[in-house]
Amino acid sequence: MTAIASARSGISHLYDDVWLITPVYNEAQVIGEVVTEALQTFPNIVCVDDGSRDESAQRIEGTGAHLLRHPVNLGQGAALQTGFEYALAQPGGQYFVTFDADGQHRVEDVESMLKIARESGADVVLGSRFLTRGEDIPWQKRVVLRTAAAVSPTARKLGLSDAHNGLRLFNRAAASRLDITMNGMAHASEITGFLARSGLRVVEAPVAVRYTEYSRAKGQSLINGVNILFDLSLNRRSS
Amino acid sequence: MLIQTLLIAAVVLMFVIFATRWNTAGVRAWKRLAFLAFCVVNAYAVLRPGDTTRVAHFLGVGRGTDLVLYFLVVGVTGLALNTYLRFRSLEQRLTELARDTALRTAHRPEADAPAAADRTPALVPSEGNPTGDHR
Repeated sequence: MTAIASARSGISHLYDDVWLITPVYNEAQVIGEVVTEALQTFPNIVCVDDGSRDESAQRIEGTGAHLLRHPVNLGQGAALQTGFEYALAQPGGQYFVTFDADGQHRVEDVESMLKIARESGADVVLGSRFLTRGEDIPWQKRVVLRTAAAVSPTARKLGLSDAHNGLRLFNRAAASRLDITMNGMAHASEITGFLARSGLRVVEAPVAVRYTEYSRAKGQSLINGVNILFDLSLNRRSS
Repeated sequence: MLIQTLLIAAVVLMFVIFATRWNTAGVRAWKRLAFLAFCVVNAYAVLRPGDTTRVAHFLGVGRGTDLVLYFLVVGVTGLALNTYLRFRSLEQRLTELARDTALRTAHRPEADAPAAADRTPALVPSEGNPTGDHR
């Protein structure tokens, strides 16, 4: 324990108060590498294995990340909420970052988001693919994402350019108030809705996304947008 | 027309009740009474089909069959809504259960400390993060 701490303290004391929260579902192919790479910079990572049917959990064990396992698959929103609750219960966490398991997010983007949060005092920093050129985004994806940001009332209220980026940073106050009830993919809209109502200080930071062959295959399909809209509309009625 | 007012009022009422206090004891009791009434009316309509037509005419509907169909639509809507809400509440409870299990059985990295300590120096780069951001 002390051996690890001292071995890492040389580079990572800067980020001892940061937790990466990574929901994992059937990512055995890449998760080990993604976690190992991120651990070089961020000592605290909690992976929430959302009932994967492959070897994801085994790949995470031994990397140095914390591992939680949902006994059944619940959805990404539920996995995030579990990760938040765990990380908030650990001593010393001040910043909580949602970080995708498929390797599309870059560690250096998290570092720049932390810098923004620390310097500006913002409660929440959201990654946006559209603040810089974003030329590497496939055009279909760009059209869908920009439309989603434009038609979403909450994204407009917050002045967001990218409403569905998985890279988000919350400070302790914001993370404690967050309560994701949408288990599936509708949590992205739920989070922006919460932020719009919360009065928290939200800023965007430019990030790049690595669209690898792997993450492309794993990405959200357009038709799943129908499911998301359906979940959200019924949620408003029943809550 | 009487029937339109009746049907729209029924659907609106249903949505309001389900949205605000689905599953309180009172609403549960009413749902059961409504189901019972539904069965009784069905049996009555089968035994005396002429009467449904008379009621239909009174409400401004041409045929008794149509009246039955309209009420069936309202009934099915209620059923679908009820089922959806029940599933959602079950899902929420399942989530709490699974989350609780996950938090209780957390695997902390200290558990595999020796292995991690052996490997850590090799993983630590001198400065920054030279690996991996060019993929």
